[in-house]
Amino acid sequence: MRTLPFLLVTVVSGAIAGTILGLINLGVVEPFIDKAIELEIQNDIQAGQTVNMNEITDYRTWQKGGEIVGGLVYGISLSSLFGIVFAYSRKSLPGNNAKLKAIFLASIMCLVLFIVPALKYPSNPPAVGDPSTIYYRQSLFVAFLVISGLSVLGVAVLVKKLNQTVRKKMVIACATYGAIVIVSYIVMPSNPDKISISMNLIETFRVVSAGTIVMFWGVLGLIFGTLWHRFDPHNFEKITVF
Amino acid sequence: MRMSYTRQLLVERSDVSKVAIGVLVAIMLFGLFASGFDQGHLFSLVEGKEAFDNKWLHEFVHDMRHASGFPCH
Repeated sequence: MRTLPFLLVTVVSGAIAGTILGLINLGVVEPFIDKAIELEIQNDIQAGQTVNMNEITDYRTWQKGGEIVGGLVYGISLSSLFGIVFAYSRKSLPGNNAKLKAIFLASIMCLVLFIVPALKYPSNPPAVGDPSTIYYRQSLFVAFLVISGLSVLGVAVLVKKLNQTVRKKMVIACATYGAIVIVSYIVMPSNPDKISISMNLIETFRVVSAGTIVMFWGVLGLIFGTLWHRFDPHNFEKITVF
Repeated sequence: MRMSYTRQLLVERSDVSKVAIGVLVAIMLFGLFASGFDQGHLFSLVEGKEAFDNKWLHEFVHDMRHASGFPCH
């Protein structure tokens, strides 16, 4: 595989998909974050705390400014993982061209690395989350993410070795992964933080933000597949035969 | 008279570049830590303990962190 085209396809597709994610989040997710922060400030005022509005305005400018850069970094880091998985699994993926293969893989990775972990530990807007439990919550989140990701990897490697039809292999893979996820879902502790703002706001935030992440994976798969098809990093070294 | 000709063959190279994998793993770990988990750790290398109070990087990616489902605060 040619190193430079492989790296460029991977990083550029993540950068584009991540930037699009940041731009869309600015439009559709930010209003919910603003609303949650407004409620957080009201709660602080009611609790008798002094709130420095100038400081909060400065923070919000800094935080909103980072939305696109944050999307860029998030996009490149996930596309790096995507590129590695694609490079090793390309020949086993369904589809007769790189675009279909990349979109299929993006759908699987979105399910395994975002949707499944979010069912156990869904996203929350600001105003939800106790600073004293942050490392505990991060540990739970990473543990579930790793269980989900490594389960799929392990199941894929094992199923590939089975002497069965493709259909049976798919059934075995889905059943095994599903069983591992269900057991983990039951066994893993819940998010310990209590919720003190409107569930309606939280649920709408979760649906909208999940929608943008699903979109991100779709865009990543599409761009990655298109660039891979265009630059063929795996393919082909021209040799002249006399 | 003897004819000679040349032709070009396209050869697939299926081996995955180890250098590329190393670079991508490094980018992934750094990027995910910076965007999803940092609580002042990276800037503390320069700023010292103050970084854990200021949390410049954490605040900069704050909204994306919430929107992408990472635990925050």
